Amino acid sequence: MKTSIVGIGQTEFSTNSGRSELKLALEAILSALDDAGLEVNDIDGLVRYTWDNTSEAAIVNALGLPSLKYYGETEFGGVNCCGAIAQASAAIQAGLASCVVFYRALNARSGVRFGRGERVLSEDGDALISHQPEPPGDIYSAPFGLLVPGQHHALYAQSYKGHYGLSDERFTEMLGSVAVTQRRYANNNPRALMKDRSLTMDDYKNARVISEPLRIFDYCLETDGAMAIVLVSQERARSMSAKAVDVLSASQYIFPGSVPMYLYAKDTYSLAPPEAGEVLFGRAGLKPSDIDVAMVYDATSMMVPLALEDFGFIGRGEAADFLISGQNGPNGSLPVNTHGGLLSEGYFHGLNSIAEGVRQLRGESSNQMKADTVFMTLRGASSMIMGRA
Amino acid sequence: MNIKPAKQFLEQPYWQHLAKGKLFLNSCNDCGSSHHPPSPICPKCRSFNTGWKEASGKATLNSFTVVRHAVHPHLEQDVPYIVTLVDLEEGVRLVSGIPAGMEVDLKVGMALECKVIQKDEDFALPYFVPVDADKA
Ligand SMILES: [Zn+2]
Repeated sequence: MKTSIVGIGQTEFSTNSGRSELKLALEAILSALDDAGLEVNDIDGLVRYTWDNTSEAAIVNALGLPSLKYYGETEFGGVNCCGAIAQASAAIQAGLASCVVFYRALNARSGVRFGRGERVLSEDGDALISHQPEPPGDIYSAPFGLLVPGQHHALYAQSYKGHYGLSDERFTEMLGSVAVTQRRYANNNPRALMKDRSLTMDDYKNARVISEPLRIFDYCLETDGAMAIVLVSQERARSMSAKAVDVLSASQYIFPGSVPMYLYAKDTYSLAPPEAGEVLFGRAGLKPSDIDVAMVYDATSMMVPLALEDFGFIGRGEAADFLISGQNGPNGSLPVNTHGGLLSEGYFHGLNSIAEGVRQLRGESSNQMKADTVFMTLRGASSMIMGRA
Repeated sequence: MNIKPAKQFLEQPYWQHLAKGKLFLNSCNDCGSSHHPPSPICPKCRSFNTGWKEASGKATLNSFTVVRHAVHPHLEQDVPYIVTLVDLEEGVRLVSGIPAGMEVDLKVGMALECKVIQKDEDFALPYFVPVDADKA
């Protein structure tokens, strides 16, 4: 792509923001513009998830934007964190807009919680009723009690564990290594919800099981807040700020059964076929060994081993060795989720992971690595590579 | 556990067959393949000429989870319960489960068979249980 991220902005992460999602969105947008050195009236494009409650109309009207020349929505939530970047970039390259803001606002802890069944069920006397045609919580899943994304992740986890014949102990250490390593990153990160809470491997092992084989610390943090990301053309970015980070590649890749929740995908121990990586890396002319830092959309810790294998950073079935030996840590061969991830910084539908990638490339991370090229994915469904063109 | 599809769904053939105690799969009358969830078109040959075929009931266990945390107040009495993904002989995947109270030792890849269990007069669910579970 020929676009750059020139601004990132956010509100604080919390469990109770105390204000509307619209107000959060506006705060994040102004903060991102300030970071970019741009004015409100520079915005001529907006992108968002269809799942976001704050419409483009609400933003245009609230800010009194003179005009909006492009607005686009991508389906689902975080599934399209990099898809929204691809969409904004495509709009800019096509000349439909020159300055596009991608925003996400949600009171996901104090408001409607993704981890609760109430989101997808209504009550009729003693019975609970599903009206959903598609997962999660759809008419074919809900009657068996499969209701929330975190339970689906437990199914992928068990499938992986069974497919590779991992013992309970080894599997626990593999995911524990993700949770503990990311918590250490978060302990250095002033934005992280878990900044002041330590987590040891013993804490992890002794933690409450939510949905076997996943424990409480395998899960992300339902979070209140908002984030925004500002994109312009690479050419314009060059005249603006040395902080600009280029979008080297952005892609979407779905296949039958993969969306919304992979229940009907051919494999459940792997969530993206090799072609997903070939498309992403091919567009950038790069290969996995060129990546310095990886951001993996960790709605649960299980997403980390799956992404590392699916994108060829390691071989199939090698995740346990890689993670248990700390290769995802600060001194490892591929630091992963250096902000603490969705597990320990906050669940921000992927925008916080993109922002951390930007910080790494600017040299502004709380856990700064040597970073020239950063990878980001959500299960392969949308992915990107950031760096300097 | 008392979770049901809304009434308008229960009028569809998939659920109507189950309510009569049989698991039928949405299948193509042209190429013979089965698919799930039901769809107006065959994803293999793209024919709209689809119908319903009784499943053999034979399946293998793709994955499972023991749900220990109740995500709805109504489920507090139901945990722990087991949710499964099962791969049917006909080449389709179903979300299923193990009936409450059944003792099982599950392993990914193990053989399962269908057991349709009536929940109320107009609603039944296709559970899949280990092949030897009834003999044990
Ligand atoms: Zn057909």
